[in-house]
Amino acid sequence: MNSVHRKLLVTSVSSLLLELGFDSAENGALETLTEMLQSFLTEVGNSSRACCELAGRTEPLVGDVILALVNMGFEVGAIEAHARRPGHSTVPAPVPSNPLKQLSILQAGVKQSHPPHIPAHLPPFPDPHAYIRTPTHKQPVTEYEAIREKSAAQKRDLERALNRFIAKTGETDSLFLSQDNIFPLIASKPNFPPYLNALLPKDQVFEFEEDDSNRSPQRKKKDGVKEEEEANKAENDIIDNPYLRPVKLPPNKLKIKGLTQCTLTT
Amino acid sequence: MFAYSEDSYESYDSYEVPDAVTSAYLNSAGFDASDPRIVRLISLAAQKFICDIANDALQHCKVRSSNVTTKSTKTKDRRFTLTMEDLAPALAEFGITVRKPPYYV
Repeated sequence: MNSVHRKLLVTSVSSLLLELGFDSAENGALETLTEMLQSFLTEVGNSSRACCELAGRTEPLVGDVILALVNMGFEVGAIEAHARRPGHSTVPAPVPSNPLKQLSILQAGVKQSHPPHIPAHLPPFPDPHAYIRTPTHKQPVTEYEAIREKSAAQKRDLERALNRFIAKTGETDSLFLSQDNIFPLIASKPNFPPYLNALLPKDQVFEFEEDDSNRSPQRKKKDGVKEEEEANKAENDIIDNPYLRPVKLPPNKLKIKGLTQCTLTT
Repeated sequence: MFAYSEDSYESYDSYEVPDAVTSAYLNSAGFDASDPRIVRLISLAAQKFICDIANDALQHCKVRSSNVTTKSTKTKDRRFTLTMEDLAPALAEFGITVRKPPYYV
């Protein structure tokens, strides 16, 4: 049986003993009385149930209980006198523990109602978070201006960071005469003959020229065969200087004349 | 004989044996205690049962201690303790034999 009930039985037996005049009790004696009280209650319940079922009833009446008590050899008439005795103490009834709260199911969002093609007897939709998909990433920017601005900003940041890094790690000059490092400048290292750098040959890539050479064959294909020969001649004497353009030869005189005539006539 | 009046048991306050405990044990025995008066009657009966036994044990205790105290001449300020020595003869009067269990499980 429940240990709470057992504890309460012990309390009630103890209070009865105190009321009678005992000051203390042996543990074994107290346990014996408690056990007897418990078995008495169970036995009364058992036999009165048997009595009431013998009479063909399901709910026991007072008569069944009294019959059961008499059967156990209990003096029924003395109960009332016992109940009316003065100076009895009371044991408070056990306080029922608070039942656990039913946790409410967390509802997210508003449930969608059935679309017209779904019959009403079908179960409702679950919470929208169970089936609705929302993209969490942004659409990448494809606008030319924005990309251009972004790359410019990136380039500028990179240069600035590099400058700062070198100013912090390498030697610095101060813009002012004082020794503080508020506006550090990257120290320049002068080479021994300052003009040497300009005289030394360097590998240079002229992208403009390459572009021109790429364009020229396309132009050739468009034009006639005669011009191809001329172009070959021009390619033979390639100009090294990037600031000079190949000579543009005037087209055939006949063609020009015809064209001018046509323009004139029209 | 016992006269059962309808409202006699409801008028009493709760006693040493709480009604909730009584009805719990009755339920465990298959007894559907729907009427609170019946429960009150049974808890009163149980109380009286224990009370009678304890009262007997108290008399035994008083007799025994008076025998001892007359020898030791300490008559005042007696404290009564319920022991198995007193409880066993009291139970024997009611026809109940108490034996120590051979071992505790």
